[in-house]
Amino acid sequence: MADKKSGMVVETAHLTKIYQNRQIALNDATLNIEPGAILGLLGPNGAGKTTFLRLILGLHRPTAGYAKVFGQTMHPNAADLRRRIGYIPTNPQFPKGMTPITYLDYIARLFGIPRDSRKPRLASLIRAVDLLPHSGEPIAYFTPGMTARLAVAASLINEPDLLIWDEPTHGLDIEARRSMLELIKTLAAEKTMILSSHNLTDVDEVCNHASVLNKGQMIFHGTLQDLKGRIRKNHYELDLEGDQKAITKTVAQLKAMKEVVSATLRHRRLELKLTDEVSNTAVLAQVFQTLCDGKVALVSVRSVGMQTEQAYLDLVEREESRGFTRLYAPAEAA
Amino acid sequence: MNATATTRIRFNPLLPYWAVLQTDLRQTLRSWVYRLWVFVCVLAAGGFMIYKVGIQRELGVAQSASVQTAHLLSGTGVGGLGLIALLAVSAISSERSSVADAVLCRGISRHQYFLAKWHARVFVVVSTFVVLAAAILTLHDFLFDPDLTAAGGAVAVGLVALMLTVIVSWGVTIGALASGTVTGITLFWVLLYGGLALLSLLPVSYSTPEHLLSLLKNILKSQYDSSRMVEFAGIALTSSVAAAAVGLIGFSRKDV
Repeated sequence: MADKKSGMVVETAHLTKIYQNRQIALNDATLNIEPGAILGLLGPNGAGKTTFLRLILGLHRPTAGYAKVFGQTMHPNAADLRRRIGYIPTNPQFPKGMTPITYLDYIARLFGIPRDSRKPRLASLIRAVDLLPHSGEPIAYFTPGMTARLAVAASLINEPDLLIWDEPTHGLDIEARRSMLELIKTLAAEKTMILSSHNLTDVDEVCNHASVLNKGQMIFHGTLQDLKGRIRKNHYELDLEGDQKAITKTVAQLKAMKEVVSATLRHRRLELKLTDEVSNTAVLAQVFQTLCDGKVALVSVRSVGMQTEQAYLDLVEREESRGFTRLYAPAEAA
Repeated sequence: MNATATTRIRFNPLLPYWAVLQTDLRQTLRSWVYRLWVFVCVLAAGGFMIYKVGIQRELGVAQSASVQTAHLLSGTGVGGLGLIALLAVSAISSERSSVADAVLCRGISRHQYFLAKWHARVFVVVSTFVVLAAAILTLHDFLFDPDLTAAGGAVAVGLVALMLTVIVSWGVTIGALASGTVTGITLFWVLLYGGLALLSLLPVSYSTPEHLLSLLKNILKSQYDSSRMVEFAGIALTSSVAAAAVGLIGFSRKDV
């Protein structure tokens, strides 16, 4: 699947894109994607996610640096490399007057798939994405969910080794989104994937790697665990139940503990920040004991810091606050 | 949604070219610009013919088929230039950032895409003109004083068709290089009409489009200088190929 020399499916070095000397869309992005990785590409609007994907696909030419796919440099005429990639743009556009059958046949021909392979393949894909009853209807009348399923079928028609999906759950209802995530999990077993998404819950659920872009700069690239590990540790939220006076009294006792950095009570939700200096299990045991002694019941407990969303927000916030220092210590950010 | 079972595929590298060519042919024939061009040509040619037949039948003024055909052939070619330019320029520029994305991210090279678009638009414009011109020639031979010859007719139609090929080729190239359809069309119209105005200033000895169109009535009667025709054909084909080369190189270096 991957390049034999480097072993990487995607390799970018100092990848930079400046549009017409006016807008820096991507700045010095360097990353490697291993075979089997499911990479979540994160970042706010205008961060450069789509530009990054378009550079990998050869739709755009880099201003500086390079993007290698399967060990070969990607360029606008690299049709043989794109034959191994399945791409879904954010808002897939379809030629006018086509039905799922004619569209998938057209896409299959664009990949150079001969008739005896493409006809059975498109039929099985239409069936797989539940578009069989609509296979003869014009795409123009399709709902966003049906369009998304058709785009998925188009991205799989060439049996790609690398899937690049830009906002695959964008505009989908709950059921269609769940179905899409399940499909991604199934495909993850045999493909390398890059998923650009705003939805951090989706990334958390299906990805094992993450890259964070902010204002064209790649501020993080690594495993999802690494991303979560960068964030504030020992930050918990506890939902409590019991007499309000007892809760207030217990929280006061908790605040008095030297291992507790802060304890904030909002209604019956306690936000607890512990010191990093001692083992959190020992401190948590003490906390639970105090709650038990104060006759306060614990409804739920969760680690705030271990949410991908929190990690992402922390990372972007930290990057924003670095100001000019980012010029001198770029390695620190990643 | 389920992932489907996989089997290795053997790709045909020429198939993407054919796919874009066929799709573009179909879509051009269905486009309102093409239909408007054909409709305007048929309407204008029909009106002109009825008027001339009226003059001949009612007033008894003899009308030479070669003169009337020359007027109509050059009128059909030059009169529809605005719409032909629109058809040519929009071939690639109208798909940029939309359908072109969905096509160029697949297993097709920029070269194949450009060539398919170029060939499709040249084929549509030239073949439509040839069909219209053949109908005009046939009708004029019956309706007016028959001084047309088959060879002269073929050369005259070929001459105008070559002019249209050059125009469409440069139109597609400018559309591929321009940042948008409106910019491309504006630029192309300025270059086209400005270029034609400049060429008309050249001496008669040069094979300029205007001079050659003025010779159509003689060409239709097989009264032409073969070497001049060959010279023009050479210039037209070279210009078309040069346009395509510029388009191929430029488009494969552009972002879509």
